[in-house]
Amino acid sequence: MSKPIIQFSKASFGFPGRIALEEISLEIMEGEFIGIIGPNGSGKTTLLRALLGLIPPVSGQVQIFDCACEKLRCHHRARIGYLPQKDRVDPDFPVTVFEAVLMGRFSSIGLLRRPSRRDNEIARHALDEVGMADYADRSLGHLSGGQQQRIFIARALAQQPQVLLLDEPTTGVDMPTQQTILELIKKLHDTLRLTILLVTHDINMIVPFVNRLALLKTKLYAAAPPNEVLTKEILSQVYGTQIMVTEKGFVIVGDYHHA
Amino acid sequence: MLEIMAYGFMQRALLASVLIGILCSVIGVFVVLKGLSFIGAGTAHAAFAGVALAFLLGLNPMGMAVLFGLMTVWITGLLVEKGRMKLDVSIGIFYTSTMAMAILFIGFMKGYNAELYGYLFGSILSVTPSDLTVIAGLGLAVLVALFLFYKELLFIAFDQEMAEASGIPARSLFFLLISLIALTIVVSLKAVGAVLVYAMILIPAATAYQLTRSMKGMMIVSILFGVFSSVAGMFLSFIMDIPSGAAIVLLATALFFLSVLFSPKRRKPLWPVKAHKS
Ligand SMILES: Nc1ncnc2c1ncn2[C@@H]1O[C@H](COP(=O)(O)OP(=O)(O)OP(=O)(O)O)[C@@H](O)[C@H]1O
Ligand SMILES: [Mg+2]
Repeated sequence: MSKPIIQFSKASFGFPGRIALEEISLEIMEGEFIGIIGPNGSGKTTLLRALLGLIPPVSGQVQIFDCACEKLRCHHRARIGYLPQKDRVDPDFPVTVFEAVLMGRFSSIGLLRRPSRRDNEIARHALDEVGMADYADRSLGHLSGGQQQRIFIARALAQQPQVLLLDEPTTGVDMPTQQTILELIKKLHDTLRLTILLVTHDINMIVPFVNRLALLKTKLYAAAPPNEVLTKEILSQVYGTQIMVTEKGFVIVGDYHHA
Repeated sequence: MLEIMAYGFMQRALLASVLIGILCSVIGVFVVLKGLSFIGAGTAHAAFAGVALAFLLGLNPMGMAVLFGLMTVWITGLLVEKGRMKLDVSIGIFYTSTMAMAILFIGFMKGYNAELYGYLFGSILSVTPSDLTVIAGLGLAVLVALFLFYKELLFIAFDQEMAEASGIPARSLFFLLISLIALTIVVSLKAVGAVLVYAMILIPAATAYQLTRSMKGMMIVSILFGVFSSVAGMFLSFIMDIPSGAAIVLLATALFFLSVLFSPKRRKPLWPVKAHKS
């Protein structure tokens, strides 16, 4: 963790007639694993999309790899792997698992050129990495939601990114698979030294994995190690007073009685 | 049967049907996967309005068809991108207003113009050598563009936002795609007609969609169906002396319904599963 790879400086983002993120200032170091939390509509997805340069700031600046995000050139974007917050793929859509993963290579291959043998190898390796190598020729639409999620992580990996942006990778996935996906992401973080931003509603589940938690609700309320963020004072600003934190740092909603 | 191939018009008809069959079925795959099917119908009628205006003013019909076709898809593309309108609504408006323009232009003309009506209903058996030059020239240009940007076009057909996020110039490629759709329609106009060209694009790809589970497979099956129906339809039209556009499209439609019947995606369990009583 040496220099900041991502830098928000008083950056605000919005849509016509609505401000989605207000004066965000945040530095993220290379190799950090950040969990992004906040209620629905708090701007988590917007934050990731802003990093990809898909939404320009209305004011302030946001930089990634020393480059203003809204001016990101294609070869920069290729270094950012992105897992969108997504519905399931249309089951009839004719695309195989391997075809979908190989798409992760397309921006690096460049225009006018075909995937080489090496690109195929990288895609196969990415599938292997997420434990789905046996599914290469299956129809993507016929896989379960959790399996599709892993395929899309593999596509992001096939880009050989430096930064991974994951929007609710465990939503709609059963609990054992949630754990498997998080452990997979943790492994990628450790072995490939990736910088990871992970959006989730499941605060308790990601606490063991992240270096810092960023708490959003249009503004950034905190960006610090979990034990500093997960206090009743800070969380209740965002989630309301119903929120409780147990002695072991477990976040729950509603009344909590000592057993 | 083979001796009819000695006629120049039959050779031209065969060449034109193979080219148009390939072109329409390849572009059709992107149209079906990306849900742009409405764009075909709207653009065909806009191109016809261009042809009508050309006849009225004594200009080059193909040139005006290209102009009207491209204008339609570009304006539609911009409207969709701005998110101001849903695609089917804006195309629906173009569809009807360009048709109204065509009717207006025809109204200004004196008398009945058989050649103009040829563009409405098409006749692959009366493709002239100069028509064939246009079909081959423009058609090959479209095929080369499709070949060069094949992987990117498939990516944006699968997921445009994901493609853009990963560093593909998705916006420019989307405009390239809709321009190629417009050119394909113009190329096919004389041979298939404005009314039916849309079916030539849609049906082979829709048939392939029923039968395949990979993008590559869909492309291959679509081309096979497209070329088969346009060549077989062309011969049927000659032998039975029926309009070629209708023969091609009805043949393709028959294949489509067969594919729905045999589609692994539509197959229901033979025995209905017992419903739970509640
Ligand atoms: N395309 C859009 N057009 C207009 N407003 C939008 C658009 N996308 C998001 N917003 C608004 O921006 C705000 C932040 O949305 P965002 O999707 O970033 O929230 P989120 O934190 O990801 O929520 P969730 O937990 O439900 O995914 C919301 O108020 C939303 O209504
Ligand atoms: Mg979101």
